[in-house]
Amino acid sequence: MAELRRDPIVGRWVIIDTDHPSGPQDFEKEESVFSGGTCPFCYGSESITPNEIECIRDPNTAPNTPGWHVRVIPNKFPALQIEGDLERRGNGIYDMTNGVGAHEVLVESPYHTKDIPELLNSEVENVISMYCRRAIDLARDTRFKYIMFFRNYGQSAGASLEHPHTQLIALPMVPKSVLEELQGAQEYFDYRERCIFCDIIRQELQKKETVILENKHFLSFCPFVSRFPFEIWIIPKKHNAYFFQLTKEEIPSLAAILKDTLAKLKKTLSHPSYNYVIHTSPIDGGDGDHYHWHIEIMPRLTRVAGFEWGTGFYIVPTPPELAAVYLKEA
Amino acid sequence: MPELRKDPIIGRWVIIATERAKRPDQFGSMPKGPEEGACPFCEGQETRTPPEIYALRTHNTPANTPGWQLRVVPSISPFLRIEGELDRQGKGLYDLMSGIGAHEIVIETNQHIGNMADLNDEQITKVITCYIDRMLDLEKDRRFKYVLVFKNYGWTAGGGRVKHARSQIIATPVNPKRVKEELAGAQRYYEQHERCIFCDMVKQEMDQKDRVILDIDGFLAVVPFAARFPFEICIVPKKHSSDFTALDMGARRDLAKMMRLVLSKLKKGLNDPPYNYILHTAPFRRAKSGYWKTIDEDYHWHIEIMPRLTRVAGFEWGTGFYICPLPPENAAKFLREVEVGA
Repeated sequence: MAELRRDPIVGRWVIIDTDHPSGPQDFEKEESVFSGGTCPFCYGSESITPNEIECIRDPNTAPNTPGWHVRVIPNKFPALQIEGDLERRGNGIYDMTNGVGAHEVLVESPYHTKDIPELLNSEVENVISMYCRRAIDLARDTRFKYIMFFRNYGQSAGASLEHPHTQLIALPMVPKSVLEELQGAQEYFDYRERCIFCDIIRQELQKKETVILENKHFLSFCPFVSRFPFEIWIIPKKHNAYFFQLTKEEIPSLAAILKDTLAKLKKTLSHPSYNYVIHTSPIDGGDGDHYHWHIEIMPRLTRVAGFEWGTGFYIVPTPPELAAVYLKEA
Repeated sequence: MPELRKDPIIGRWVIIATERAKRPDQFGSMPKGPEEGACPFCEGQETRTPPEIYALRTHNTPANTPGWQLRVVPSISPFLRIEGELDRQGKGLYDLMSGIGAHEIVIETNQHIGNMADLNDEQITKVITCYIDRMLDLEKDRRFKYVLVFKNYGWTAGGGRVKHARSQIIATPVNPKRVKEELAGAQRYYEQHERCIFCDMVKQEMDQKDRVILDIDGFLAVVPFAARFPFEICIVPKKHSSDFTALDMGARRDLAKMMRLVLSKLKKGLNDPPYNYILHTAPFRRAKSGYWKTIDEDYHWHIEIMPRLTRVAGFEWGTGFYICPLPPENAAKFLREVEVGA
């Protein structure tokens, strides 16, 4: 008998196939075929990208030349544009605004084929520090309400270039799925005066069933109410609503767990395409007592079909407890 | 300048990305699925499916033998099981229940035809009647709260290996989140305006005309103002109705024609793309079930069609915010101009 589980934060139900659970070998993979040609993110291509916004580079190297470690550039085909003021307007029953926002690309390393698990810990730390630097910088722009970091790795995950990179989009409104998490967490907090994410961490750590890795400051685990097979969350053990408030001491700890968790994912599922997103509090999210930032990692193993679109109900062929067993042993 | 548009019903924002805008002919084809195997859904193969639940048969031929025009069978790999009790329980801060539900496959024709676009109006009318008959039957089972009718056509859209036209029916023991959001949004609008938001939308679209693809008989096909996907289409009855199962025979025929024309335009204009469609109708309204009294006034059934031309990536999953690379007005114009046989 399959199980229906309800996400305690946003109230979404998912169907977990506990009868015929799928193992890592049961998913059909689509191979990534990237077109060849000059990679705009490799050393020597700096002049064919827009000018860099921020960079970690060797001393005495000039901007937009080789010698960098992490490089941030505007997206050449931005979904939103940085110039202009937000003009909200109506059209009969419809509401709209012009598309003001930032859309940046963070090239994580000069290495064309190295994904995060193949980088050195210090290199991953540079990437995370850069996430924080960009978030802090963009938070000063009063037009923006939310900064979303997301990473598409592999073609099925929506990556259009092979060279690993993260993207960020700064938005003039709080996106719906974050808003739902915030509202759900607020309702829980209003009643119990506790953070629901802290309660989830406590419950997961007690049972240990779904925990993949744990270090001094972080935990990676398969959520009880996953939407996708082998979905993983990475969450700080200490309560904090804001990602960019990461301390100098926490960054190496996050780099290590991110690198090791992704390494396990890649080994278990033989190099799947995957996405991750960082969910953090909106820029002016107040004291953040009720919210708790985290990273959601979603391997792209199944095809989302009409049922999911129509209902917002997800069908998960691998129970999270089982996925955690595979990942722990990898 | 790109534009941000808000869905007036559930409040979802989408980015209409003019800077990365594509022309309608610039969408590459999605990966082809595996090779097609022998078809278990054709006439003469009845023993290869589970026993039928429902069938349209002409000469009183026995069940599970040839001589049918349409069959409904249980899914071979059901997500939900029909037998058992719900058994709701808590586990610490989590809630769960057993996976009770119905999962049925509608085999839309006895011919080996893949796309509903290639069925005739009479056959599509039978499919619509079958949806209604099955929904009314499933409503009698008090464990169920909602029935979703949907179709996955093509591999990328989640369709199977075999290219034989079929749709799916799933009955769930809870009201799904997306449906609840629509119901709540429509109710909120009704409280403020005492009008149905879908009816207002129909009026505005018929006035502005730039997002209308087809306006025939009692139905309108439009590209929604805040479309999530390029060439997303909504088919909606012009006359207010919350309940799909209330469609009379004439309206079923009109809807069949509309479905055929719209799907044919997609097939011809976009080179037979994979697509999903879903039917959103009011949940079962049983006495004492706790639904608000105005649901018949404030909700309006409709069909959403989503061609699968782009990949949904991290940003969309993370935010619930969609980036649509084609302005809805351009998509509507393109589809209006695709000529298909009346």
